[in-house]
Amino acid sequence: MAEVLRPQMMGARVSRVEDPRLLSGQARFLDDIQVPGMLEVAFVRSPHAAAKIVAIDADAARRLPGVYAVITHQECPIVLWNQESYKVGQPALADGDVAYVGQPVVAVIAENRYIAEDAAELVRVEYQTLTPVWDMRDAIHEKPRRVHEQAENVFFQKSRQTPGFDEAFAAAPHHLKASFRTNRQTAVTMEPRGTAAMLDAASGRLTVYASTQSPHRMREDICTLLDIPEHLVRVIVPEVGGGFGMKATCYPEDVVVAHAAVKYRKPVKWISDRLESLESDVHARDDIHDVEVAFDDDGKIIAIKDHLMADGGAYPAYPWSGAEGETGLAARVLTGPYDIPYLATEIDCTYSNKTPLGAYRGVWGPIASFIQEGLVDRVARHLKLDPADVRRRNMIRKEQFPYRNAARMIYDEGSYLESMEEALKLIGYEDFRHRQAQLRQQGRYVGVGISVFVEPTAMASSEAGEVGYESCTIRIEPSGRVTAALGLGPSGQGHETTMAQILSDQLGVPLEDIVVLHGDTDSAPYGGGTGGSRSGPIGGGAALVAGRQMREKLIKYAAHLLEASEDDIELGDGKAWVTGVPDRSLTIRTIAQTAYLDVSKIPEGMPIGLEVTGRYLPKRPVTFSNGTHIAEVEVDVHTGVVKVTRYAVANDCGRVINPTIVEGQIHGGVAQGIGAAVLEALRYDEDGQLVTTSLLDYLLPESTDVPRIQVQHIETPSDGEGGIKGMAEGSLIAAPAAVACAISDALAPFGGMVDTLPVTPEMVLKMVQNS
Amino acid sequence: MKPAAFQYFRASTTDEALDRLAQHPGSKVLAGGQSLVPLMNFRLSRPDVLIDINGVADLGRLAIEDGELRIGALVRHRQLAESGDVAGAVPVLPLAAKHIGHWAIRNRGTIGGSVAHADPASELPAALVALQGTVVLRSARGERRVAAEEFFQGFFNTDLGEGELIVEVRIPISKSRFGFNEVVRRPGDFALVGAYVERSGPGGSVTWFGLGGRPERLLVDAWPQDAAGRGTLLEELVEGLPLDVSEDYKRAMAVTVAERAYQQAEGEK
Repeated sequence: MAEVLRPQMMGARVSRVEDPRLLSGQARFLDDIQVPGMLEVAFVRSPHAAAKIVAIDADAARRLPGVYAVITHQECPIVLWNQESYKVGQPALADGDVAYVGQPVVAVIAENRYIAEDAAELVRVEYQTLTPVWDMRDAIHEKPRRVHEQAENVFFQKSRQTPGFDEAFAAAPHHLKASFRTNRQTAVTMEPRGTAAMLDAASGRLTVYASTQSPHRMREDICTLLDIPEHLVRVIVPEVGGGFGMKATCYPEDVVVAHAAVKYRKPVKWISDRLESLESDVHARDDIHDVEVAFDDDGKIIAIKDHLMADGGAYPAYPWSGAEGETGLAARVLTGPYDIPYLATEIDCTYSNKTPLGAYRGVWGPIASFIQEGLVDRVARHLKLDPADVRRRNMIRKEQFPYRNAARMIYDEGSYLESMEEALKLIGYEDFRHRQAQLRQQGRYVGVGISVFVEPTAMASSEAGEVGYESCTIRIEPSGRVTAALGLGPSGQGHETTMAQILSDQLGVPLEDIVVLHGDTDSAPYGGGTGGSRSGPIGGGAALVAGRQMREKLIKYAAHLLEASEDDIELGDGKAWVTGVPDRSLTIRTIAQTAYLDVSKIPEGMPIGLEVTGRYLPKRPVTFSNGTHIAEVEVDVHTGVVKVTRYAVANDCGRVINPTIVEGQIHGGVAQGIGAAVLEALRYDEDGQLVTTSLLDYLLPESTDVPRIQVQHIETPSDGEGGIKGMAEGSLIAAPAAVACAISDALAPFGGMVDTLPVTPEMVLKMVQNS
Repeated sequence: MKPAAFQYFRASTTDEALDRLAQHPGSKVLAGGQSLVPLMNFRLSRPDVLIDINGVADLGRLAIEDGELRIGALVRHRQLAESGDVAGAVPVLPLAAKHIGHWAIRNRGTIGGSVAHADPASELPAALVALQGTVVLRSARGERRVAAEEFFQGFFNTDLGEGELIVEVRIPISKSRFGFNEVVRRPGDFALVGAYVERSGPGGSVTWFGLGGRPERLLVDAWPQDAAGRGTLLEELVEGLPLDVSEDYKRAMAVTVAERAYQQAEGEK
């Protein structure tokens, strides 16, 4: 009873404990790591999409004063190769040939970055260029050639079909075909990538500072690739200014830096600049889907057939290719929140002479949502039905949970229809249709797009790796203050706040008495890190499990010291007391002092000290968040420029740990989604040259491109620890589709529908003129 | 993305800057640095000597004299955007200046820098051409004045000679009404296409930018009163430009922005 009255930190709008240091410029990012004598690296990168390396002449570079070393594959013969999955791997430094523009060829190590770049210019690499492979449809047929002689261009192929598909598809009264294209993007984190490595002369241990999402995975990768045992490597992840999946990969530069630090016994650092970021951070979303949909007279979708293609770039990113991630999961969740009984998918992932494809927030999801919602809108338009009504008719109903989709994925309970109805209310859908009709008469074209999404979170395996659990160590110090550590790798998500909120409730200590450590393999228990929207549900679950174990200890102590029954002990406000007798109390500090300094009073059978490590492995292989995004846009049909004017979100990520943080995640995802829908594209020309090499060409959304976003929370708890579901990707999964559908809706009088992202002004104008 | 090594001088007078320019052929002048510094960081520009004129107070003058708006080379875009004097004398100028980049860029960027850089898609060079402005150049050899229309010669290419410094631009205060419009993907971007339209009596002019290598000003004897007539006229003008307008989109946009600029000029009465 008293439990109910006590304020719970879980679910509260707690201000982020990270913000003061971040907002006042005190946070330490990778480039803030300064060690006396530290050398800096500049990479000589391939200017060609495909070429044989005839000769490398680095003599002039080596002679430049201030240059410490110039290394090639010969000096650093390491290949980032997951041999179990792929026939090729990327050499950390090019070995005899180059396969994409921006591929590291030579590393120049110098006293500072200026000298390193001066020397890099002096390195002469003689190339013999080859015909680049850049078109996915050609590449599938080994045209114009193989990217790698020893491997077919198609490196991942998979077909799957619901039994009875062909009959159901053929029997349907209506069919539509469409081909959807998403163009290459990359995460463009505000802080670019970077690595610093140094040997500790005394212990012989290697310390690697890495701007990464998964400290333990990075340690494993470094140890594997450099052949160093794990106990001799410490990975420290400082403040990370954005990861978005892009930093879930071990890159050639990470390996070269660590290798150089060991080889030369010198501290070595490399920081990516923006040019390097655009050409060498993993790319994403280079996908084509050739789709057919079958449906009945009422708009009930019966079957979807999809040929999924993804251009994986020149090599699989290490240790896995983003192309496989994008298509593999898209094929399994293509039906989204809809009850579509039959699905047939065929996947082809190909090599090309482009930057490797990796993870970017949402991975498969933004693509699949774009297709799934695009299909629903096509069905609605074909049958002249309201798009919201067609969604209602197809939506998975409450009573169908747990629901098994056509690709045999199990969805746990969600609020699919409810979220759409709430979002329609937020945007004022009925009123909008009137307004839309009036504005059309004035020559103004507005539209709304509805995007109902599902978001598989907390998966047993994700871009964060195959570690399906997370660990949390809690130590209550003799003062009663709490030090907790997790294996997460936050890059702005606010884990120090959310994990402390969870622990505060369990331990009965105020938030300010808890510090949450992460990102150091010497202090953090082994864990999977951050990625695939797993930190909240799995990391939070580990915090709950560990918190509960510690709580039990505290209760045993209190019962013993207060001479009461354990059942009667309550914890809160830094104290323990006997239910109904608040005077019979003692502080957590007293308990802690007993545990460490007055050990004769420790309850019988309990160990000295207060320290636990709890681990949490979810029972389900995945838990689904869901929600609905609705975008309103105005399209200037004379210029083709799209403005997103209003935006509403109904979001269900189970039990919310901190609504402010959830809303921040949604705001960011919507901004990125607007970028994906109308702005961002990495473009290659026919020579395989990346032509978008600065932020003048690769257009990111700016504050003026993002409208106010209304957010409403719905809570359908998962059956996992705390009822928590992940939520970091749903907003970017849903937003591009919402905006794309809104553009199609605005342009309905002209007949066309969006099938390519981003929607450029030229494309809009063509849609208007072709009508 | 670090610049190649260079020598740096900070001038405190125009003469000092001119001396340095004369001594160091191939040197570059640093004003707001909004284009030059990124180019240097990309090593696309690698001057041996950089002459910083930010300390030269004379170059920051903004005044109306003898029927002309005189804008010192160091006048920042933000001053143009916010100055009441400028708005009173040449109302279209602040209107256009507000479209240059973002706050931080307008705080630093200068008219001299923009004119010297001569990006074909930037707002101010085209404004000078549209408004029949003059660029005042000084060197150790003396001063010369060049009509803006002659000054801009092509992609990032101007009449600025060796050892010369842009000290001022002058814009005649005209009785014509001007309108401005541009198409951008995002507010603050360089224009895909932009236009200034002048209405003077029955006719006027249209100046396009972002279409070719430099702003192009074309005279209009008489503006048709109806939008369709103007559309036809503008299409003909675009066709007649000595430019390689390869993209249909840009061609269509040229007409759209000019029509919108025309309508804005109409509202400027």
